[in-house]
Amino acid sequence: MIRLQGVSKRYKGASTYAVRDLDLEVRPGEIFGFLGPNGAGKTTTIKMIVGLLKADQGKVLVNGHDLTLDPIAAKRSMGYVPDKPDLYPRLTGLEYLNLIGDVYGVDGPTRSKRLAHYLEMFQLTEAVGDLIQSFSRGMQQKLALTGALLHAPALFILDEPMVGLDPKSSHLFKEIMREHVKQGNTVFFSTHVLEVAEQLCNRVGIIKQGELIACGTMEELRTGRDRDGSSLEKLFLELTDEGGSYEE
Amino acid sequence: MKSRVISLYSAMLNTHYGLSAGKYYYIKKKQRLWEPLVIVASMGWLLVLAVWFAWMLTEQLFLGGLAFGQPHLALISGTLIVSVLGLFFGFFNVLSTFYFSNDLSILLAWPLRSWEILLAKLGVIVTGQYILNALFLLPIGIRYGLLARVGVGYVVSAFVVFLVLPVIPLVIASALSVVLMRLVNLSRYRDKLTLIGGILLLVIVFGGTYWLQQNVGTDDPSVLLEQLLSQADGLVKAVGRVFPPSVWAAQAMAYAHTSQGWINLLYLVASSALGLIVLYVLGEKVFLQGVIAGLEGSRGGKRRKKVVLEHVERGAFLTLLSTERKLFVRDPNFALNGLIGYVLLPVMALLPLFGQNLEGNPFEQLNFGEMDPLLVMGGISLFFMVMIAMSMIPSTTFSREGRYLWIVRTLPLSIGQIIRPRVAAAQVVNTVGCVLGLLPLSYLFGWGVLEVGFGIVFGLLLSSVVAYLLVILDLSRPMLNWINPIKAVKSNFNSIVGMFGTMVIAFLLGALFFLNARTATLWLIPLELLLVTGILGGLAWFLTRNVAPKLWAKI
Repeated sequence: MIRLQGVSKRYKGASTYAVRDLDLEVRPGEIFGFLGPNGAGKTTTIKMIVGLLKADQGKVLVNGHDLTLDPIAAKRSMGYVPDKPDLYPRLTGLEYLNLIGDVYGVDGPTRSKRLAHYLEMFQLTEAVGDLIQSFSRGMQQKLALTGALLHAPALFILDEPMVGLDPKSSHLFKEIMREHVKQGNTVFFSTHVLEVAEQLCNRVGIIKQGELIACGTMEELRTGRDRDGSSLEKLFLELTDEGGSYEE
Repeated sequence: MKSRVISLYSAMLNTHYGLSAGKYYYIKKKQRLWEPLVIVASMGWLLVLAVWFAWMLTEQLFLGGLAFGQPHLALISGTLIVSVLGLFFGFFNVLSTFYFSNDLSILLAWPLRSWEILLAKLGVIVTGQYILNALFLLPIGIRYGLLARVGVGYVVSAFVVFLVLPVIPLVIASALSVVLMRLVNLSRYRDKLTLIGGILLLVIVFGGTYWLQQNVGTDDPSVLLEQLLSQADGLVKAVGRVFPPSVWAAQAMAYAHTSQGWINLLYLVASSALGLIVLYVLGEKVFLQGVIAGLEGSRGGKRRKKVVLEHVERGAFLTLLSTERKLFVRDPNFALNGLIGYVLLPVMALLPLFGQNLEGNPFEQLNFGEMDPLLVMGGISLFFMVMIAMSMIPSTTFSREGRYLWIVRTLPLSIGQIIRPRVAAAQVVNTVGCVLGLLPLSYLFGWGVLEVGFGIVFGLLLSSVVAYLLVILDLSRPMLNWINPIKAVKSNFNSIVGMFGTMVIAFLLGALFFLNARTATLWLIPLELLLVTGILGGLAWFLTRNVAPKLWAKI
């Protein structure tokens, strides 16, 4: 579903790489957790996958489409929610969702059904007619999630999706992720909350200073290389404890 | 330790003018060094021209005024012009800086008094006004000083006047906007009311000024001019009715060697101080409530209507067009700046109809009613083209999105599909604005339906291709990192270059039409319009296909 081949990115004027020589494959039907300390390159990687940043080197393939050669087909197959979902403040929630629905070509009956489902689930049905600027951060996050799910994307990409969600919404959202992959779709998300990754992910990747330092199922990571089945937290700290982090 | 207001003012000034960013890029990183060069190259000659114009005008007015015993005509004109301009542009600046800046939510959380925020913000606007005033007032002041052979008193007085002059217009603009925002924030239709209120206030200010000018003593402009120049200080008195501080300023400078001059200076300083006190009181009593009401949004306590999830399915083009239009019109910063031209033009044309005579109408004297229909048609086409650039809608389309641009960038659309609705949205607003402006003008000058109709058709074609080019211009270098939305439009280099470039095209076409009129080849005008539209359209087509995708990927 996602294939990164030797992807590197160095920001203009920076002396170090934000992401370096990254090879990664995320398969259909799995929830993949992308972990790493602050400034490790998680958001940069995600932005390259969704087409917000251009990789300096390497290839990004989404659902078989090369993001450089066929960005539109690649984008059509994914839904993305950034870490800070800045949405047009002067549109109403419904106007924003209809914009997304129209652009992704979601037909009327399907759109109505999905909107009713997700808005009800996220308790946004009443507020959706208000301007987005009046929404709380959590509400904006839920609206962005609804927008990203509206066209039932084969690949769902989320940057820190749990930030700003209340426990109930957070629980619901985990259920949505599980349901989404059950239908053969893929979820790729970054998080700092290791428990969430531990509960949800089929596989996780750990990135540090722009390089992938570990990748596999929880079991593989726990038992690999002389480890004694320690928790993900312990493993994460063990893998990322040396060296400082730097800004992306 | 610096006082809180000074600290706040320094930080705001730094952010507003990008001083730290400039230092970082140009001095520390030695990057983007071409930017200041381009700015100097494109604006420098305009500045030189403005200074030269002010210098020459002062000389003419001094010599002309001397014959009527009013040599300080130039000082009065200069102070009046900068004051009126300060009031006009200050209103927009104040509204956006005081109420629509993204920094308000941060500032309100800090232990700052309401007046401290207000004063620091006003300080930033006043600083900007000093720069503009310096361009116009310094050459006037220096040239007048040299011609009148003034003494030290004049220099001191002129310096004080320069420092104080921007205060009153900006205090008036601030007071108007503080009161306006307090009133509109009580309503759920805040955005619409801000827009309508802003436009109404400007119409009142300009209408009032016009009314005063029309009522300074006589209906006949020639008699009026004679009266103004023959009576001692006739013009001074007339201007004094329009905006007294500009008279105090001029007289403080002109009579700096007498007690009359110092009394006028005292008036000016005292009234500025009084204005600041009024603003302080308004700041304490009204400003904060207005800001908080604005930040609260429309949620609190409001009874919600039941939301119907029904919708009309539209294609990407129509939905993006509609979104672009909504986002522009709903933001008072964008709408006030972009739409004001469409409002002011018909208002200015219509004002004489409500006055006492038609002879006072400046348009009337230009004999537009006598123009050849082909010239009218050409003029209307140029009007459409110039107005679409003046609206700044196409030349700031990506910049206005700022940090929200991620939404469009992740949509599965080609850059061509993204550009087209933006051009169309700009054209929808432009067409409505221009047609509404043309109606009173056509009525006033008695233009025929055919010439107006064809003018609109050619205007639509010409302004569409110009809009295409302006959208691509903004795509090449969008200004995405702004705190105050007004920076995305008014302080945007793309809008300035766009307006300037369009003006150049309009000027060249206008010169061509003039030549046509002189050589009796007016029939060439439609062909010339089509040719220019074709050339610009070809360029727009080429850029959209070959350059825009690369620019889009580079953002």
